[in-house]
Amino acid sequence: MAQLLQHLINGLASGTIYALVALGYTMVYGVLKLINFAHGDVMMVGVYMGYATAFALGREARASLLGVAVVFAVAMLGCALFGFLIERFAYRPLREKPRLTALITAIGISFALSYGFQLDIGFLPGASPRAFPEIITPTEWLIIGDRDVVVWNWQVISLLIAVGLMVGLQYLVFGTRFGRAMRAVSWDHRVAALMGIPTDRVIALTFMLSSALAAGAGLLYAIKDTSVSPLMGLYVGLKAFVAAVIGGIGHVPGAVVGALVLGLVEEFVVGYAASTWRDAVAFGFLILVLLVKPGGLFGRVAAEKV
Amino acid sequence: MQTPALPVPESRPLVPPSLRGVAPVVVALPVLALFQWLLGGADFASYLLSVMGVNIILAVSLNVVNGMTGQFSIGHAGFMAVGAYISGVLSLQLKEVALSFLPVAASDQVLFMLSLLVGGAAAAACGFLVGLPSLRLRGDYLAIVTLGFGEIIRVVVQNTDSFGRALGLSGIPQASSPAMVYFWVFLVVLAARRLAGSSHGRSLWAIREDEVAAEAMGVDTTGYKVRAFVFSSFFAGIAGGLFAHFVPIINPGSFTFVRSMEIVVMVVLGGLGSTTGAIVAAIFLTLLPEGMRSLFSALGTEGSLAQRVDQIRMPIYGVLLVVLMLARPQGLFGSKELWDVLPRWLPRKRRGLA
Amino acid sequence: MSADIQAVAAKDGASPALLHADGVGIQFGGLKALTDFRLSIHEGDLQGLIGPNGAGKSTAFNVLTGVYQPTQGQVRVRGAQVNGRKPHQINLMGVARTFQNIRLFRALTALDNVKVACRAQTGLHQMSTGLGAKFAAARHNYADWWKALLLTPGFQREEKRLTEQAEHLLEVMGLSHRRDEEARNLPYGEQRRLEIARALGTQPRVLLLDEPAAGMNTREKADLMVLIRKLRDDFKLGVLVIEHDMKLVMGICEHITVLDHGETIARGAPAQVRGDRKVIEAYLGDSYLESHGGAA
Repeated sequence: MAQLLQHLINGLASGTIYALVALGYTMVYGVLKLINFAHGDVMMVGVYMGYATAFALGREARASLLGVAVVFAVAMLGCALFGFLIERFAYRPLREKPRLTALITAIGISFALSYGFQLDIGFLPGASPRAFPEIITPTEWLIIGDRDVVVWNWQVISLLIAVGLMVGLQYLVFGTRFGRAMRAVSWDHRVAALMGIPTDRVIALTFMLSSALAAGAGLLYAIKDTSVSPLMGLYVGLKAFVAAVIGGIGHVPGAVVGALVLGLVEEFVVGYAASTWRDAVAFGFLILVLLVKPGGLFGRVAAEKV
Repeated sequence: MQTPALPVPESRPLVPPSLRGVAPVVVALPVLALFQWLLGGADFASYLLSVMGVNIILAVSLNVVNGMTGQFSIGHAGFMAVGAYISGVLSLQLKEVALSFLPVAASDQVLFMLSLLVGGAAAAACGFLVGLPSLRLRGDYLAIVTLGFGEIIRVVVQNTDSFGRALGLSGIPQASSPAMVYFWVFLVVLAARRLAGSSHGRSLWAIREDEVAAEAMGVDTTGYKVRAFVFSSFFAGIAGGLFAHFVPIINPGSFTFVRSMEIVVMVVLGGLGSTTGAIVAAIFLTLLPEGMRSLFSALGTEGSLAQRVDQIRMPIYGVLLVVLMLARPQGLFGSKELWDVLPRWLPRKRRGLA
Repeated sequence: MSADIQAVAAKDGASPALLHADGVGIQFGGLKALTDFRLSIHEGDLQGLIGPNGAGKSTAFNVLTGVYQPTQGQVRVRGAQVNGRKPHQINLMGVARTFQNIRLFRALTALDNVKVACRAQTGLHQMSTGLGAKFAAARHNYADWWKALLLTPGFQREEKRLTEQAEHLLEVMGLSHRRDEEARNLPYGEQRRLEIARALGTQPRVLLLDEPAAGMNTREKADLMVLIRKLRDDFKLGVLVIEHDMKLVMGICEHITVLDHGETIARGAPAQVRGDRKVIEAYLGDSYLESHGGAA
């Protein structure tokens, strides 16, 4: 019983991180109908920005509350800028081209980032994973029984940050003028442009927002894993994408639910079956969902306008 | 009866219709035998040619899905792995077996062919299983699912003793030869060309052009996409089987996402939809790293640079894809073929003149 | 497929309509794009579907051809209910269409455009969802590919037959001289005609034409209407035409359905519809009254 509870907590904790990344896929898909393959790798770049900042701050400064805030701020802002540049120079020129070209571009960017960062030329970090500095010292926040169930402080912190970001996002999309513009672009970006909505700006902001969220999520993941590596983006990104599809891509609460479900499924498979199968779980689950409910849990298969 | 506006060359056929199916194979076999004889014992050349041939098979088969049908698979190496492991394990099992009515060398080749076909069939079956759910949906799902499929294969191999886990499978009989590899290269090119020239191939093009219209004209788009995917997976499996029989060891590292991307780059660089382009790009991208290696060692600048060619080319592939999409999305050849521009007296298949 | 249809046909009685819509409706979110749409097309019919912009005409086509699934009512093809069927299955049952915004296979030649449609008819397509039928269809279709790859004599004959059939259709539509031209290079009017040729390639019993005369001048429009009438007679079709230009429809159609805001506001013979108050009101916002004021 205690074991079950422990798995539940761990699963929810990793689920919330997937959720933040999944939201990025879903938002970009919403406005552009593009699966932004490079999203996970953008996240990875953000984590390295945070890593560099934490080192620059030094051992004392980074462990303070202000230090943590600075690390997060630098990573998220830097990543937003990075996302903006990618959108501006790689995706925008292709917006009216066949969809396949944008997809190939996204795959190319993903590949260039995840393998480019494995080189050890210049500032690039090299292939081997590095220990992520302890910006939040892991402590046991809650212990039940004789260490039957342990809740770590980082789990609580990431849950709080994730929930905060999600609530903020929900407000942004449904409660602000920008959100309304976003939803209009999502409906039909050409018509939205005719209605006087600055489509380019809305799309660029959506990219920045999703990249910033990804950087935040990536840092939480790195704190949990205590390491960073160039391939982390590929793996976390793919799982988050699977989560977004499970929830119904383009559907904001769906992405969150999908991510939590995926986090739990993964945790239970690792806990009760075999940990070596962990990486296969997400994709097996994805194929299963596509077979049974192709539109995901909340989405529906949209008919193309004819 | 026929009232075409353009004159159709109606010369008497060189080959009777009943033999047109097998005629090219009859011509190809002696050529391949000669080729093998000429190559003799050149070990490195044989190895490089085999690698190149495997790459051609992979690129040409992937082009059927990514080029002709307009879907996008990025997990071709996964199907290659299925073919490699299944045929490799089978060959290991059959190592001591010999067909008594045949000379030893011939018996080995027959058994090798058998395990190749089994590997190809296994890959095709996996293609069906992966394609059916994802091809019912929009194209981009296929990309993700095929990528995930590659991961599943890797995890399965790493957890199965008879596949050698992470260590890999060694001791597979080295039954492959450049002649065998190029026999399959020949078959895949012939098959791709015949498919493209048939009205089935036209239906695939139609799906690439406009899926809604194809569906409205009675084309079972999902069925066609799945068939194209099965076709492509089969040849990927064959390529894997060939590969397993000329390298000393296969392990999960031989069939990673990087391998899949390499094939994708070949297809995109050659031009989505062009078999000729896929062949040319496969040859070019196989020779390029070798060329770079020789160049760097000849220059003798930094010894490390020559060794790092493999590392450097991966990010270059990614950048190449982005640059291609921005500057020349149709690749080198667009969807044109060499045989579209050949002189008239050569056997050829123009669009619509099946 | 035929067993399916015959079974229902026998139940329904003598000769059910080729295409029958019974109280069909569809909603997108809260928007009712089509409500209680009724229509019956028999062989030899030449019917019109008109209405102002956004009245739901193309939506009706999309529901009839299976692109959208109706949320209410039933669509029947020769007596068999087709709700939930995919577009290609409905097409194979004998319903073909063209598109308002031309959707040719642009990079294929004119001939190949038609051949794709002709080829689709030769496959064995499962209409029932049983596993056995699915398996049989799959076996047939995979065998078809093998024949193409092995270039069997049977396959060569089949290809030749398809080519001849497609050439014949190009000739009927006056496009023989464009045989090997890529579809995207044809002039606009010829593209519209090629779309009709392609639809005929599927050997339909019912032909749905979505604004076939759009963008043509008066003379071309008149020629096209004559051609449509001829196609109906030669191919023994039932035809339904969407047209924006009321005058044109009035000229050739024997029966007209008028849509506005997704609702059927009038149906009947041209003369009857022309005098209908609701129809005139519906067109008020359009330039109809200005140019055809006399009609009221």
